[in-house]
Amino acid sequence: MITTAALGRLLILGALLVSTAGAFLGFASGAKRSEEGLRWSRRLAYAFGALMLLATLVMEHALLRHDFSVSYVAHVGSRDVPVWVTIVSLWSSLEGSILFWGLVLGLYIAAATRFTSRGNEEAMPYAIGTWLACGSFFSFLIAGPANPFLTISPAPLDGPGPNPLLQNHVLMVAHPPLLYLGYVGMTIPFGFGVAALLRGKIGPTLVRAMRNSLLLSWIFLSIAIMLGGWWAYEVLGWGGYWAWDPVENASLLPWLTATAALHSAMVMQRRGVLKGWTLTLVLSSFLLTVLGTFMTRSGVFNSVHSFTQSAIGPTILVFLAAVLIGSVTLLALRIDTLESEGRIDAPVSREGTFLLNNLLLVLFTFTVLVGTVFPLVVEAVNGKQMSVGRPYFDSMVVPMGVALLFLLGIGPALPWGRTSHNEIRRALLPPLIGGIALLILGVIFGARNPWTIVTLFAGGYALQVTLVQLAKLRHSRRSVGAYVIHLGVAIAVVAIAISSTMRTQREVVLQQGQSTTIGVYTVTFTGTEERSEPHRTSSIARIAVTKDGRTVTTLEPRMNQYEMMREPIGTPDVHSTIGGDLYISIASLEANRAGLLLIVTPLVSWIWIAVLLMAAGGFIALVPRTVIPSVARDLGGRRAMHVPRTPPAQVPRAARDDMGVA
Amino acid sequence: MILALILLLLDAPQSTPLQGPALDQRTQEVASGLRCPVCQGLSIADSPSEMAVNMKAEVRSMLAKGYTREQIETYFIRSYGEFVLLEPKFEGVNALVWILPVAALLLGAFAVWRVLRKLSAAPQPKPRVSADDPDLARVRELVKGATS
Amino acid sequence: MNRFVLSTGAVITAALVAVLMSGLGRDPKHIDSPLLGNAAPHFVLKSIGSAESIDIAKFRGKPVVLNFWATWCAPCWEEHPVLNETARAHPEVQFLGVVFQDEEAKIQDFLRRRGSAYPTVIDEGGRTAIAYGVGGVPETFILDANGTIVVKHDGPVSQQQLQAYLAEVRK
Repeated sequence: MITTAALGRLLILGALLVSTAGAFLGFASGAKRSEEGLRWSRRLAYAFGALMLLATLVMEHALLRHDFSVSYVAHVGSRDVPVWVTIVSLWSSLEGSILFWGLVLGLYIAAATRFTSRGNEEAMPYAIGTWLACGSFFSFLIAGPANPFLTISPAPLDGPGPNPLLQNHVLMVAHPPLLYLGYVGMTIPFGFGVAALLRGKIGPTLVRAMRNSLLLSWIFLSIAIMLGGWWAYEVLGWGGYWAWDPVENASLLPWLTATAALHSAMVMQRRGVLKGWTLTLVLSSFLLTVLGTFMTRSGVFNSVHSFTQSAIGPTILVFLAAVLIGSVTLLALRIDTLESEGRIDAPVSREGTFLLNNLLLVLFTFTVLVGTVFPLVVEAVNGKQMSVGRPYFDSMVVPMGVALLFLLGIGPALPWGRTSHNEIRRALLPPLIGGIALLILGVIFGARNPWTIVTLFAGGYALQVTLVQLAKLRHSRRSVGAYVIHLGVAIAVVAIAISSTMRTQREVVLQQGQSTTIGVYTVTFTGTEERSEPHRTSSIARIAVTKDGRTVTTLEPRMNQYEMMREPIGTPDVHSTIGGDLYISIASLEANRAGLLLIVTPLVSWIWIAVLLMAAGGFIALVPRTVIPSVARDLGGRRAMHVPRTPPAQVPRAARDDMGVA
Repeated sequence: MILALILLLLDAPQSTPLQGPALDQRTQEVASGLRCPVCQGLSIADSPSEMAVNMKAEVRSMLAKGYTREQIETYFIRSYGEFVLLEPKFEGVNALVWILPVAALLLGAFAVWRVLRKLSAAPQPKPRVSADDPDLARVRELVKGATS
Repeated sequence: MNRFVLSTGAVITAALVAVLMSGLGRDPKHIDSPLLGNAAPHFVLKSIGSAESIDIAKFRGKPVVLNFWATWCAPCWEEHPVLNETARAHPEVQFLGVVFQDEEAKIQDFLRRRGSAYPTVIDEGGRTAIAYGVGGVPETFILDANGTIVVKHDGPVSQQQLQAYLAEVRK
C-alpha cells in the first residue's frame, strides 16, 4: 500500500522523466525534421500535463483529508479552518505554490500542443522541446528543494493553518491562480520564439500562435495584477493599492514587455520589420517571469510576500542564468538570419508611434527593475543599506505613464504609412476637444494637481480617438478588441491619477455614539461586537454611515486575532460606489472608543472595471479572425492572403485600414 | 526629557512650529518619506504597526516644535541608517538610481532614431504576390464590392 | 554572430546574476545599525515597580548591557534567564532592561514570576527605542565604560554570545 506522500513523489518523478525525455526528443526531432519524433514529443507533452494534474489532485486530496503525514499538509493544513481555505491552501505556501506552477505549466503545454500544432509542424518540435525543458526544471524543483510530498513520521495531529492574512479575504482565491495563468503562460510564446530563432524564420502561422499565446497570458496577467492591487486595498488597511513592493514589481515587469511585444508584433506583421526586436521582447517576457519567481521565492527581497531563504533561491537563480545565457546566445547567433522584409515609410505614422510605445514601455521596465534591485547593488558595493520606495517609483513612473497615455491617443489617430501634413493635422487636431473637455470636467470637480490635469487632458484625447475608432470599425474583431483594451487603459490611467491625488484621509478617535464627517459622509461609531470562529476571534467596530441625513450603510472594520499571531490583523471595510469609495480601517479598538482611519477615494472602482474591460477586449481580439466570407468561398477556403498596397484609386482608404489592421 | 534627548542629537529647530491641519498635513508628508523598519516597504504614514505609529507620533511632535523635514530625517537616519529613507538621496552611489533611467531614455531615443532612419532607407518590399495573380484581381474586385 | 546583441546581453546577464547572487545569504530584514561606535543616546526612564527614574548617564564608568524586550515576545522569555544569570555572575557590568509597547502591570507580573537580577525601565511611546534604532524585540546593546555602543545584537542572545561580547568590551 503506497502512502499518499510516496505516490505524490512518484508522480513528480514521472513528470521529471517525461519532461526531460521530451525536451531532448523535441530538439532532436526539430533538428532532424522527424515526424515520428514530433508525434512522440507531443505524447510526452500530454503525459507531462497528465502527471502534473494527478500529482496536484493527490495533494488536494491529502489536504482535504487532513493527512498530516504529508509535509506540506502538516505545514499549512488545519482542522479548524473552513473548507474553502483548505482547498486554496494548495497555493498559499511556498512548496505548494511551486507544485501549482507545475500544474499550470503542464496544462498549458498540453493545450498548446493540442491547439497550435496545425500549420506549425516544423516549429512545434522546437517549441515543445523548450516547453518541456522548462517543465523539467520545475519538476526538478518540486522533486528536490521544494518537495511538498515529504513524509512526516510520526504524523502530527493538527497543523497551524495557512497564513492568516491569506484567510482574510476571498480575493485570495482568485489572485494566485490568475497570476500563474499569466506568468506561467509566458512560457508558451517563449517556446515559439525559440523555435523561430532556431529555424531562422518566422512564418505567419507561427506569428499567429505566438501572438495569441502572448495575448492570452497578457490578459490573465492584467487581471491578476489588478486583483493583487484590489486585494491589497481591501485587506491591508492603509487604503492604497500599489506600494511598489518588490513582488508587485515582479508581476508588472513581464506585463510591460509583453505589452511592448504585442505592439511590436503588429509592426512585424504589417511591415515585416522588427522581427529580432519582437522576439527579444517575447523572450524577455519569459525571462522576467523567471526573475519574478526568483524575487518572490528566494527570500532575497524585503517584501510582504517574502518567504524565508532556502535552497530554492539558488536553484532558480541557476535556471535564470541558464535561460539568460541560452537566450542571449540564440539571439546573437540567429537575429541576423531573420531578414527584414520591408520598411517603415515615415516616422510620423502609426509605426512610428509603436516604436515610441516600445521605447517607453522598455524604459518603464528598466526603471522598475533598477529601482527594485538597486538596494542590493548598493549593499554589494559599499555595504550600506538603503531603500528605494514608493516616492521614487511614483516620481519616475508618472511621467512615463502620461507619455504612454498621449501615445494611446496619437497612435491610433495616425494612419499607417506615409501621410501628408494635411492628413496628420486632420487626424490629430479634433481629439483635442475631448482632451480639453475632460480637463475642464476634472477641474470643475476639484482636480488641482498638475500631473492629474495633464493626465485628464491626455486621457480625454485618447478616449475620443478610441471611441471614434470603435464607432468606425465593423468587421475586424481583432481591432475591436484592441480598441476596447485601449479604452480600458485610458480609463484606468485616469482613474489611477484621480484616485491617488484627490483622496481625502483623516485619523479620528471616536467615543461610542460620536460622529464625524469625511467628504460627503457622516460616520458614527455605534459600538463593538465580538465574533468567535474556530480559527480566529474578531473585534468588530460598527460604524453607521449616512449621507445627507439618509442611511447609506453600516461598515464593520475588524481586528482579527488569530491564535498563532501576537498582533491582531486588521481588515478594513469599504463602501464602494461608482463615484468613489468610503474606506474605514481600525487603528485601535476598545469597548467604547475607536481609533479609525477614514479615507474617501474617488473613482477607485473604475480601475478594477477598466482592467476587466482590458481583459474583455483581449478576449474579443482572440476570437479567430474571419476573412470576408465571399472571398474565402471564392478562393476555395484558402487562408486570407496579404493584399499588398495598391494605389488609393483602387482600394478605398477605409478598406485599406481595416484589412490586416492588427 | 524627550526634548533634552532630541536637542542633544540635533541643533535647534530651524523652522516655525506647526499646528492644526497644517501640522497634520505636514506630518503625513514627512511620514510618507520614512520607512517603517519592521514592515515590508511601507511608510510610517501607511503602516498600522505600533512601531510605525510611535515613529509617526515622534515626527508630529518634532514638527510641532519647528524642526524641518531635513532635521527630522537626519534624526531617524542616525538611529536606523539611510535604510529609513524611502526616497534615495542624490549623492554618491545612490545618485545612480536617478541617473540611470534618464540615461536609458536618452540612449533609447537615440536608438529609435537610428532604427527609423535605417528602416526608412530600406528598399520597397517586393510584393509577395505577383501583380498578375488572377486571385489578386478577384480579391480586389470583391473588396471593392464589399466596401462600396 | 551579432556582436552588439552578444555583448549587451552578456553585460546584462552578468550584472543581474551577480547582483542577485550577492543578495543570497543575506537577511533582507536585518538592518545594520549606524550607532555602532557612537555614543549611546541618552535617556531617563521610569523604573518598573517604583516611582523612580533611572538615568543611563549614571552608569558611565561601567560596561552596560542594554536589553530591549517585551512580555509578549516569545524569544524574550528564553533569553531572560540567560541575562539574569549573567547579571548575577558579573556585578561589575550594569544590566538594564528596557520594555516598550507593553503595560506596566504585565511587566511587573512577569518579573515577579521569573525573577529579576537587574533594574527594568519602561519606555512609553517607544521613543527611546526609536532613538536606538530598535526594529523588533529582543535587541541587546552592549556599551563600553565610556558610553559608546560597541555591540548590537538582534534576536535572543545566548550564554556563549553574551560571554563573548562581555569579554570584548572589557578589553
